[in-house]
Amino acid sequence: MTAVSARTGMTLRLEPQPGEVIDRNRPLEFTWNGQRFPAYHGDTIVSALAACGERIFSRSFKYHRPRGLLSASFLDPGCTVQVGDEPNVRGAHRRVEPGMVVSAQNVWPSLRYDVKSVNQVVGRFLTAGFYYKTFIKPQRLWPAYERVLRRFSSGGVVAKDSAHGYYDKRYAHPDVVVAGGGPAGMAAAVAAAEAGAAVLLVEEEYELGGHLRWGDAGQLEALRELRAAVAAAPGVEVMTNSVVNGRYDGNWLGIVQRNLPHVVERLVKARAKTLVVAPGLIERPYVFEGNDLPGVMLSTGVRRLVNLHAVKPGQRAVVLSANPEGDAAIDDLARAGVEVAKVVDGRRGPTIQRATGSRGVQAVECADGTVVDCDLLVTAVGWTAPTALLNMAGDRPVYSERAARFLPSLLPDDVLVAGGIAGDGPLEQLTEHARAVGREAAGRAAETARSLCAGIPQIAERRAGPPDPEPAVALPELPVEDHPALFFSGTRGFVDFSEDVTAKDLIAAAEEGYDSIELVKRYTTVTMGPSQGKLETVNAVAVLAAATGRTIAETGTTVWRPPYAPITLGALAGRIFEPVRHSPMQPWHEAAGATPLVAGAWIRPDSYGDPAGEVRAVRSGVGIIDVTPLGKFDLRGPDVPELLNQLYVNKWSRLDVGSVRYGVMCAEDGVVLDDGVTGRLAEDRYILTATSSGAATVQEWIESWLQTERPDWRIHVTPVTTAYASINVAGPRSRELLGRLVEDVDLANEAFPYMRVRVGRIAGVDGCFMWRIGFTGELSYELHVPASHGLRVWEALLERGADLGVRPFGVEAQRILRLEKGHFIVGQDTDGLTQAYGAGLGWAVKLDKPDFAGRTELVWQSRRDDYFRLVGLQPVDGSVVPPEASQIVLGRGIAGRITSSRMSPTLGRSICLGFVAPSLTGPGTQVTVRLPDGGEVAATVMPQHAHFDPEGTRQRG
Amino acid sequence: MTAAPDGAPQEHPSWLWRNPDPKPSYDVVIIGAGGHGLATAYYLAAEHGITNVAVVERGWLAGGNMARNTTIIRSNYLWDASAGIYEHSLKLWEGLAEALDYDILFSQRGVLNLAHTLQDVREGIRRVNANRLNGIDAEWLDPQQVADVCPIVDISPDTRYPVLGATYQPRGGIAKHDHVAWAFARAADAMGVDLVQNCEVTGIDVDRGRVAGLRTSRGPITAGKVALCAAGHSSVLAGMAGLRLPIQSHPLQALVSELLEPVHPCVVMSNAVHVYVSQAHKGELVMGAGVDAYISYAQRGSVHTIERQMSAALELFPIFARAHVLRTWAGIVDVSPDASPILGLTPVEHLYINCGWGTGGFKATPGAGSVYAHTIASDAPHPLNAPFSLERFTTGALVDEHGAAAVAH
Ligand SMILES: Cc1cc2nc3c(=O)[nH]c(=O)nc-3n(C[C@H](O)[C@H](O)[C@H](O)COP(=O)(O)OP(=O)(O)OC[C@H]3O[C@@H](n4cnc5c(N)ncnc54)[C@H](O)[C@@H]3O)c2cc1C
Repeated sequence: MTAVSARTGMTLRLEPQPGEVIDRNRPLEFTWNGQRFPAYHGDTIVSALAACGERIFSRSFKYHRPRGLLSASFLDPGCTVQVGDEPNVRGAHRRVEPGMVVSAQNVWPSLRYDVKSVNQVVGRFLTAGFYYKTFIKPQRLWPAYERVLRRFSSGGVVAKDSAHGYYDKRYAHPDVVVAGGGPAGMAAAVAAAEAGAAVLLVEEEYELGGHLRWGDAGQLEALRELRAAVAAAPGVEVMTNSVVNGRYDGNWLGIVQRNLPHVVERLVKARAKTLVVAPGLIERPYVFEGNDLPGVMLSTGVRRLVNLHAVKPGQRAVVLSANPEGDAAIDDLARAGVEVAKVVDGRRGPTIQRATGSRGVQAVECADGTVVDCDLLVTAVGWTAPTALLNMAGDRPVYSERAARFLPSLLPDDVLVAGGIAGDGPLEQLTEHARAVGREAAGRAAETARSLCAGIPQIAERRAGPPDPEPAVALPELPVEDHPALFFSGTRGFVDFSEDVTAKDLIAAAEEGYDSIELVKRYTTVTMGPSQGKLETVNAVAVLAAATGRTIAETGTTVWRPPYAPITLGALAGRIFEPVRHSPMQPWHEAAGATPLVAGAWIRPDSYGDPAGEVRAVRSGVGIIDVTPLGKFDLRGPDVPELLNQLYVNKWSRLDVGSVRYGVMCAEDGVVLDDGVTGRLAEDRYILTATSSGAATVQEWIESWLQTERPDWRIHVTPVTTAYASINVAGPRSRELLGRLVEDVDLANEAFPYMRVRVGRIAGVDGCFMWRIGFTGELSYELHVPASHGLRVWEALLERGADLGVRPFGVEAQRILRLEKGHFIVGQDTDGLTQAYGAGLGWAVKLDKPDFAGRTELVWQSRRDDYFRLVGLQPVDGSVVPPEASQIVLGRGIAGRITSSRMSPTLGRSICLGFVAPSLTGPGTQVTVRLPDGGEVAATVMPQHAHFDPEGTRQRG
Repeated sequence: MTAAPDGAPQEHPSWLWRNPDPKPSYDVVIIGAGGHGLATAYYLAAEHGITNVAVVERGWLAGGNMARNTTIIRSNYLWDASAGIYEHSLKLWEGLAEALDYDILFSQRGVLNLAHTLQDVREGIRRVNANRLNGIDAEWLDPQQVADVCPIVDISPDTRYPVLGATYQPRGGIAKHDHVAWAFARAADAMGVDLVQNCEVTGIDVDRGRVAGLRTSRGPITAGKVALCAAGHSSVLAGMAGLRLPIQSHPLQALVSELLEPVHPCVVMSNAVHVYVSQAHKGELVMGAGVDAYISYAQRGSVHTIERQMSAALELFPIFARAHVLRTWAGIVDVSPDASPILGLTPVEHLYINCGWGTGGFKATPGAGSVYAHTIASDAPHPLNAPFSLERFTTGALVDEHGAAAVAH
């Protein structure tokens, strides 16, 4: 192939056509398989190539047969191409752009030429027809086939360096969505808008108009009028090159929008009050031998090509027509200078036998035995109603023998149909019907709006609700016209072009016992390809019905599943709604050289370079740590104690103002869910804290109690995690340091003892509260200051404590400090089976409370003693730190695990927490820890969890 | 059927199964012709010689979750009891095509479970350590090793969900679900089991604490023993016999992309972000989500679950942004409180139960089928399913696999 230069290459371009969508004043160039090709603005990729005489655009999935144009629409199975880094682009739909880099997919070994050896190599794999069915035995050969088969896969290519584009989404709340912008859709949209509805009109093609666009002068005139009416109608938003992709409960619609500049796709999530489904009809291919040869086209495909793109589809044609659309195609062909060698009228008995040719149609054998040489065979044998959206709305369309297509049956109130999917008739009648549907849709939308408003408390007149609808008039009926039932001829051809499934395959499947359409579908993969059965479902059903001696109605159809048209993963993904979180002091930490730690949603300082030194600072002087991620909830209302009693295993009825209590939450299965302290700041104000990683779960847990179990409780819950910056000041000199900053709180031990909370002013910041608790085991204060002042208080602490040797410490130091002290961490030292007793929290469980979450399970557990228990452990060799998650073994079995382990700077030896089997819990017991490298170390079970200051004197000091 | 003399691949069998009407009476009736029902029938016939068996199915053969799952197979579960039953199953998978004389496209391409937080890392390492003690091929991989196994995972530290490591089970993989069902069906049918389609069970008759028979849309059937295999509808059926199960039925969604050339060599799962991805033999990406949070029997899910799952998936696999979703669907899965199955006897004599596999029962198809058949044949649990009794919810001896099974498959 040589490079084609612009203009002169378009040898099949016709003189200007009345309805053409190409702009001859705007030529452009693009490349196809590395060659340059000319085109006009408005061409699809494939119309441009066809204008230059190209006929083969892909190779088929299984047999690698050459494929060309069939329907010249989005659904065209043979026109899927790669555009740059975008795989599986519909080449007969996508408009070509200057410089576009287009290549064929599935071309191994080559698009143009059959390589004989290919069939020899793979023939044994494919002769049986089904893709996988040959590989039964022997199994050892399978891996080899797998490798060969993978060469065959026919998809597009995702490039490794594809950019990770972000896609936005839009939320829309139209009254009426009209799916389909043909004459019926346009008429319905205009009528709905005139009746006062806000309308969203969605059309798959680049322009409104549907089949009128490739129609005669009268239809083009009607098109102009309808477009003008849409443009003039108030409140119609038009979305072209967009598809209503799915209909979900409550008329929640997923719309994929592709007409925005610089945006590949956008997902529009529309909650429509009424949906009008007006997608027209899809022309159905005919099943006969050779029906997949390039040059076999549907009548609508030919008409699009000629009238929209001014491309001559062939030189000499045979036309099989069973309807007026087919007859119109004959006229179009004549006008385009195509010799119509023979017309076979499908309304009068037998049709055609087969098409023959090697890389395209060369001859057609008719049922009457004549053989006509030609390069184009046009078929017009009937229609498929695209009922996908109706299916998704719960409708089960019924087959009409007369019309030879499926018709809607029972629709929900918020879904209406218009146009060809609803019935037949001349254009006038269809648009008249559509207008009535549009008005009705607007009326029902207003009805819905009114009932919604009625359910919402009204604010004076401002929310008076929409105006009354017109009085209801019954929708006019549309006639259904007879259409011959033409599905397949006497020969067997392809039923599914994209999956390469033939009629023979379907018949064989039925004979093998796959006698239901769903089984046949799964077995042969018929209708499972890119068009999801829009072209092939009814043919498949018809072939199977004939093979099993049933009717089409008895055979039924398969279920259409969303999306209606493919959508990119990117558009579905959109942006992530999970922002990374950090405290107001994070910039300070970074400036101070802190190592960042990813802790769930948060980024936190792991350490400031010397965790052991940070530990020593806390034990001997004072340190401060940023604990902002701690989950915090502000609870108010008279029933807060009830809630606390329900959530926690502990008792809460008597918590004095100014007091703080530690609590343990269990799930219904008695498993430890979270822990934390709750303080009572005022008569009816509590602050509940949850672990940093558990905060989201706890919030959902609280909400589920308040919303579903006890809506009667008078409680307000406000999550205030990020409203406060939280700082723990820990160490024997913390009181001294705080004394320099706290203005109106008496810090003396008797005035502000352990487990108390005070509200006050810190470093000049009002509205702070502080409580005396701590994870480190030292005298410590947890300060909660309004977040915007967090950094100021943090800096003040460091500045005023410089002479005390105050140091910031990170999460790692805190982990060591708490492990020395034997405090467990939910989720690290517990797992999904750890009930309160196993974690050593039996003291907190108050079974005498009438009810609390997890009580039933805990009652059972309290009577047993066969559970693993959390214990303190010290390796016999104090220089060895067994990695966390090392297993404890007894003989060959698992008898526990190390949950936390560190070298203790304070004790100068390794320390651990771990779970051990019931038989190993006695203090002094030696257990065997299996290290990941297979080695083993011995460790001793300690009398308590705490390795340091077990009496807890330091924190009370 | 025997291999062709030259060892060349062989044609598909020309006949798969009969389509019989139900007989008035059977020794054993299995309810539900999903993977588990069919496998159970096969093992009853093949290993226990019990062939007067019917599998009754209200729809078409294996059209429930068996037709909807994402076919991930692995055995790297945490607890000894789980490791026992899933590893038993994996071993059966390894010889299944041979045993059933039908290729099931079992591809041991390896399964990665990614860790994104330190918590995931600890949990993953713990599971690897436990797996190894249970004789399961488990490995812990650091991020670079993850990239060696699956080069298209984004392991750069600045993604939203950085990969801190992964557990890896090389023997894990995928199989073709439909083929598995058909293979069991064909083999069971050949031994005389009746596969009765379009036959919905509408009642279970219990006579003095003992099961007596069934009422179905195709007439009553008396049965010596009745075995439930109804996955998402287990509670409904158990209710017919007066039993309340600790099971919640949730929609679980999955999707496939259009065909792509091979880019993804293994199976990648990420519990933390509720995503798993593999590429089927044909070239489509197969992806699944976590369960939809509400309880439902309608086989459809909500879009926002898919949206969330896609946004996480693209953080891990940015290169899929421009691939197209071809089809989404949902199945109804039977979720138990501890994410482990219920498999064994019930308070009703000769009524047996197999459910609670939730999001992950495909991988157990042969294993569950074989021990369930044993349980039915001997009216006593096999040692491998003894820990999965219904009673554990009253004794508290749970087998929590949320860590290993939460999203997971
Ligand atoms: C989207 C999705 C993805 C999944 N991914 C995986 C995965 O990757 N790996 C994995 O291991 N597992 C996975 N699973 C789970 C797995 O599919 C199930 O655990 C398993 O298939 C359940 O067993 P089954 O095959 O017997 O169920 P089913 O195939 O659901 O069989 C139950 C049958 O019972 C029938 N039935 C119900 N009620 C009646 C009645 N009254 N009368 C007669 N018949 C009745 C149903 O019609 C159905 O055919 C997934 C599930 C889903 C939905």
